[in-house]
Amino acid sequence: MPILDELVAEAAFLAALPSVVGVFITATLLVVSQDWRMNVIALAMQYFFVGLLMTQVTRIEMAAVKGLIGWVICLAFYLTEQQMQSSLRSNGSDEAVPLRNWFAARLEGWRREGISAQAAFNFMATVLVAVTVSAASSELPLPQVSGSLTLACYVLAGLGILLIGLSQDPLRVGVGMLMFLSGFDLFYVALEPSLLVTGFLGVVSFVIALGMAYLKAAEVAYSSEESTP
Amino acid sequence: MIAGLLLFLVLPLVIGGVVYVFRRWGTLSSLLSIGMTLALGITILALPLGQVVEFWGRQIVMGGTVSFLGRELILEDVDRVAIAFLYLTASGLFLLAWQVSPGTLLFPVGFGMLSLLSGSLLIRPLIYAVLLVEIAVAASVFALQDEGGRPARGALQYLSVSLLALPGLLVIHWLMDRYALTPDNTALLDVSAVLLAFSFALLMGSVPFQTWLPSVAGDSDPLASAFLFTVNHAAVWFLLLAFLETYPELIAGARFAPYASAAGMAMVLAGGVLAASQRRLGRLMGYGAVIDNGAALIAFGMASERGLALVLLGLLVRPFGMALTAMGLSGLGAACGHDVRVETVRGLGRRFPWSTLAFAVGALSIAGLPASAGFAARWALYRLLGPSDLVSVLAMVGGSLGLMVGVWRALSALLAEAEAEASTELVDDAPAEHDRWPRGLVVGLAVVASVVVGLSPHLLGPIAARLAGFYTFLAP
Repeated sequence: MPILDELVAEAAFLAALPSVVGVFITATLLVVSQDWRMNVIALAMQYFFVGLLMTQVTRIEMAAVKGLIGWVICLAFYLTEQQMQSSLRSNGSDEAVPLRNWFAARLEGWRREGISAQAAFNFMATVLVAVTVSAASSELPLPQVSGSLTLACYVLAGLGILLIGLSQDPLRVGVGMLMFLSGFDLFYVALEPSLLVTGFLGVVSFVIALGMAYLKAAEVAYSSEESTP
Repeated sequence: MIAGLLLFLVLPLVIGGVVYVFRRWGTLSSLLSIGMTLALGITILALPLGQVVEFWGRQIVMGGTVSFLGRELILEDVDRVAIAFLYLTASGLFLLAWQVSPGTLLFPVGFGMLSLLSGSLLIRPLIYAVLLVEIAVAASVFALQDEGGRPARGALQYLSVSLLALPGLLVIHWLMDRYALTPDNTALLDVSAVLLAFSFALLMGSVPFQTWLPSVAGDSDPLASAFLFTVNHAAVWFLLLAFLETYPELIAGARFAPYASAAGMAMVLAGGVLAASQRRLGRLMGYGAVIDNGAALIAFGMASERGLALVLLGLLVRPFGMALTAMGLSGLGAACGHDVRVETVRGLGRRFPWSTLAFAVGALSIAGLPASAGFAARWALYRLLGPSDLVSVLAMVGGSLGLMVGVWRALSALLAEAEAEASTELVDDAPAEHDRWPRGLVVGLAVVASVVVGLSPHLLGPIAARLAGFYTFLAP
């Protein structure tokens, strides 16, 4: 695939430390932010960085497939959230925010209300986990992968578990699971570069995403029924 | 010529699709599901291994090795019995689901899970088996979420915990390959053993990871929970045995035995204490699963073929108790808005006698009450362990008593006079069960089957012993 090769060659400068930084920033955003639009964008970017990091240990085509699976999952999450938001709006329990005004509304919200206690707590927990995984990555390096990849794996797995532990919302828990799985996948693809394993891990990710979307829909439907007099 | 074992992977997926399409016609989809699982379960036992059989002009051969996507699928005697157990258990659960929730997603999703779990028993190397089990776990979320019911938080917990078990199980394969090349490096063996123990502790709900079991049972569809505690748990046990059979070095010298026994004792004690103080009836089933898994681990800790046979006997009798309990919970849940607590079921026993009977007999079977199916495995374990390890026996009896206290409290409420206004209002909307003779017939049959198995342990005992005999990793 010459075009893909050229594209990856162009982005090669990102494939080491910048991608690790990208993974860390997107993971932090996913843990701290409660805004579903920002989370979907962060998750899509995270899959891009994970794909780039994966090119260090596996073929470009396989990394591209994994990135593609991730983006399809992001699409599924986006559609689910959009559907849930419109369902909530039709029940009158949430206000509509047009996409073009979204960023301005976010800024205005932060200016007026500051950062919520939940976000501040999540950020502090993220910092603690980041320090822990940073120490762990130098003390317990993973076999077959470089130091930067080890750090990325630990960050994804650690913050994924943190997100699972901190959240009750099915989609956020699902994002945590997918982050954890991405972290492990990044390491495991170096140990077992089999196409079938890649396929099965992709199916695991996809079924998790669909399951979480289903649980979210069930939760919204139940809360709508409960709120109906 | 058709490779027979592929039928058990492909056919359930096709039937699952058909059942999903016909979901609106509950009786049709239920009967199709019951019939097909029963037929597949009997077929895999009846067809001789390695011989060509003609069926509707097609030649089918069972056994041997089949290549699937470049990987080997191997059907051996042990897999045959294990797959038959999965299908026959599913058939029984579908029979009960037909009576309480005929349109449930358990039917189509159950077929998908059966295909994946059967595949996990057949495929080699084991990393693919682990991945297939994980996909089945993720798919179970669709069945666990009760349609129109409360959000299934337990399903989230179950999936999270199972996902945490995945890395360890996948990495063991790589570590053991390295160990085969460098046998002097025993650190690889130690790390593999720790990963194996940790991963299966998560999957089996060992203390302190047991919280997902009562959560699943408490807020998910009861029959889907029972499917998970019987079919999924059996597949997990068979996966563990496959790991040990493939890598016997992991348990060389039976060094795992004291840890397995200690984990089992912690599970039966924790399950018993928590069940005794439980007021939500669904969670009692979850604690029952914790206790039953704990008893199985104690038997496994004996590190002998007889201990292994008792583990397998426990798995074989578990569906009787779980299925009946789940059916009772489903019936009672429909009457009190899926919020089945001691407070909400007060007086329901008189209007819902079949559900109450199913719940009582099922839960007491899980606790191992004499003359119930669960007793068959538990009594054999007490007798075998008694002379050498009385503490473990007392712990198991204590765990069972704790569960019985929880069941007793629930039964006291069910059989009491209805007093609370709130619960009476809920009950008024639900039709009583007195005139539902098909439900009574199904419950009656299941109760009789449970009692027969409890009074005649020789019915399933030899099957468990034969299954245990297939495994060689415990041989001296």
